[in-house]
Amino acid sequence: MEVMMGKLKILADSAKYDVSCSSSGVGRRNNGIIGNTHSAGICHSWSADGRCISLLKVLFTNKCAYDCEYCINRRSNDFPRASFEPDELARLTIEFYRRNYIEGLFLSSAVEKSPDYTAERILECLRLLRYKYGFSGYIHAKIIPGVSSEILHQIGLAADRLSVNIEMPSSKSLELFAPQKKPKQIFAPMRQITNSLIERNSLVGPGTMFKGKDINSPENYLGVQQISSETKGFRALSANVRKETFAPAGQTTQMIIGAGGETDQSILTTSENLYHTFKMKRVYYSAYVPVVDSPILPDRTTAPPLAREHRIYQADWLLRFYGFSVSELFNSGDENLDPDLDPKVTWALRNLDKFPMEINKAPYEMLLRIPGIGAISAKRIVRQRKVSSVKFDDLKKMGVVVKRAKYFLTCSGRYYGDRKFEEETIRNSILQMENGLQLSMFDNNWKQLEAGAKQEKLAAAGVI
Amino acid sequence: MDYIYDGTFEGLLTCIHHHYYTEKTTGISVKDEYQPNFLNRSKEVITDEIKADIVYEAIERKISSYDLRRIYKAFLSCDPDKEMKILRYIELGFKKGSAVSMLHGDPIVFDVQSLEKKVNREKERMLQFVRFSVMKNGVLYAKIEPDHDVLELTAHHFCDRYRNDLFIIHDVKRKKALIAFQGEWYITHFEETDIPELSADENEYRRLWKTYFDHIAIKERTNPKCQRNFMPVRYWKNLTEVNIFGESYK
Repeated sequence: MEVMMGKLKILADSAKYDVSCSSSGVGRRNNGIIGNTHSAGICHSWSADGRCISLLKVLFTNKCAYDCEYCINRRSNDFPRASFEPDELARLTIEFYRRNYIEGLFLSSAVEKSPDYTAERILECLRLLRYKYGFSGYIHAKIIPGVSSEILHQIGLAADRLSVNIEMPSSKSLELFAPQKKPKQIFAPMRQITNSLIERNSLVGPGTMFKGKDINSPENYLGVQQISSETKGFRALSANVRKETFAPAGQTTQMIIGAGGETDQSILTTSENLYHTFKMKRVYYSAYVPVVDSPILPDRTTAPPLAREHRIYQADWLLRFYGFSVSELFNSGDENLDPDLDPKVTWALRNLDKFPMEINKAPYEMLLRIPGIGAISAKRIVRQRKVSSVKFDDLKKMGVVVKRAKYFLTCSGRYYGDRKFEEETIRNSILQMENGLQLSMFDNNWKQLEAGAKQEKLAAAGVI
Repeated sequence: MDYIYDGTFEGLLTCIHHHYYTEKTTGISVKDEYQPNFLNRSKEVITDEIKADIVYEAIERKISSYDLRRIYKAFLSCDPDKEMKILRYIELGFKKGSAVSMLHGDPIVFDVQSLEKKVNREKERMLQFVRFSVMKNGVLYAKIEPDHDVLELTAHHFCDRYRNDLFIIHDVKRKKALIAFQGEWYITHFEETDIPELSADENEYRRLWKTYFDHIAIKERTNPKCQRNFMPVRYWKNLTEVNIFGESYK
C-alpha cells in the first residue's frame, strides 16, 4: 500500500495539468460486472482549485523521453519518477469506483521509450479493466502523438473518449516549445478517430453545432485514403464494423494558453477549425502555470492567466452552443476578447442595430443571442409562447438573467432598460452591475481605472 | 377545513379527494407538524387507497404522466408548504390540461417547478456525493443526510451500477435505508446499530483517495469559493476526501 501511495502521489502530480476530467458523452447501462455511464457525466468531487474530479486522472508513467519546454515531466526536469503496473492501476480504479469516488479512469502518459511502447502498456491496462474486471464505467484515454494506427484502434475499442493534445494553438509555438512533437503526428490520430467514428455512424460533433445535420457522410471523411464518395460504397464498407463501439463519447483535445504569443482570435480560430474539420466534442484550454524554468517561457512568478482562460471558454461556448462564429466575435478589429465583459455582451453592444429584440416574436436562434438568455430559458420562452404571451415578470421565473437581458429586449413592445439605448450607457450599466458596485452617475470613465484604483473604489464602497 | 394526513403520498392524494368531494381545504399538514389554530376546524384524514388511486389516475389522464412525476418529486421535497403548492398545481392542471407545464411564468407552476428542481438537484448530488465503504462481508455501505427525501430516487442508478454488490444507502436523518442486490431493492427502517463492520483494507483505500484528492489540486489555482459552490459544505460531513474517518464534523 505504501508503494502504491508513493506512485499515486507522483503520477497524480504529473497528471494534474491535463484539463479534461469530463465523463460525459455516452450513456450506457451496466453490460459487464460493475459500472455504467451517465450521458451528462457525473462529477464526484471538487479539489481545492475548484476543478471537478470525475475520473481518476493519472499518468501511466512520468518517465519521459521528450523534452517539451512547458511540461513538468520533461526529461531534463529534476522530478520524482514512477510507473504503474497495468494490473495495479486497474485494481485501484475498481476499488475507487466501488466506493463511488470516481466515474472511471482518465489515463494519460509520458512517452517512455517510444509512443508505441507506452501505448501498449496503456492498452494492456484498459483491457484488464474491461475484460478481467468487467468494468463498464467511463474510460478516457490520451493518445500519444506518433502511435501506430493499429494500437490506436485497439485503444479506441476499449475507451469511451479519446484525446490527442494539440498542446499549442499554432504550429509555430509547437515547434518552439515541443520540438519532438510534429503537427503531422498530432493530426494523423485525430483524423483516424474522426474517420472511425464516421464509419460507425457515430460522429456527433461539438455541442449543438451540427444538430439535425448528418455529418456521418463521405464528404466529412478525412485524409489520404479517401474512399469512393458514392454513398452506397461507403455504407457497404462500414456495415460490418458498425457493431463494435469505438470511442462512443468522441474525441477532445487541449491547448495551453499564455505560453506562446498567440492572440485570443488565433486561439479561437484554431478551435473553430478543429470543430469544423475533426468535429471534436470539445477543445480544452489551460492557462499556463509556470512549473519549470525556461528562458523562452513566462518566469516562475507569473500568475496563470485565469481571467483570459475564462473569457476564451465563454467564447468557446458561444461557438458550440449559441451558433456564433469566430469572425463575429472579433469583428471590431481587436484581436483579443474584452477582459471586462463577456463576449456575448460585447457582441451585442457592437450589434445594437439587431436589438432590442421582441421576446414574443424573435425566433429561437435569435433569442439565444440575447445576453442573459441561455438554451434552457430560450426553450421555455418558445414553449410558453405556444399557449400564452411572455410578460416581463415571467422572464425571471424562466431562468433569464433579467438584470443583463433587460437592456436588449422588449416585451410586447415595451423596453425595460433603465437608461438610454446606446452602447456606452448600456456598457457602463452592465459593468457596474457585474462589479456589484453602485458608482456615482457622473463617474462614467471607471473602465480606465487601474486595478489598484478599482480596489480602492471597491473598498470605499464596502465591497471588500 | 384543515386536513391532517400521515405524511405518505397516498395520504396527500386522499386529502385532495376530500377537497373535491367532501369539503374544500384551507390547509394540509402532516400529523406531527400540524399547529391548530382558531380560524379553521381540522380533520384527520385516514389514508384511503381507493380515493388515492382515483386522484392518481385523474392526474395522469387529465393532466399528464409528466406532471404526475413532477408532483411526486415536489412531494419528496422538505418544503413546509408543499401540500398546498401541489394542490394548487393540480387544480390549475385540471383546468389547463397538459399545457400547465408550459406556463412557466405562472406563480403556481413556478412553485412546483422550483420544488421539482430542488429535488432533482439533490438527487444528482447524491449520485455525486454518496461515498461507500467496503464492509467486512463485502457489503457496500454509505451514509447520507439529504435535505429532501431523495433516497428512493437514487435506487435506479446505483442498482444498475453495482448490480453484483449488495449495497446499503443509509439516510441517517430519516432512519431508513435503501438495500439492494442484483437489481432488486427495498427501503426499510435502519438504525446506526445496524451498521456492519469495516473491512480490513477500507481505511487504506480511504487514505489513497484522500491523497489523490489533495495532490490533484493545482496550488497556483487555489479557489475555495469555487470549490464550495459546487460542493456545499453541508455535504462534507459524509465525504471521505474531506472527513476521512467520518468523525462528527463541525
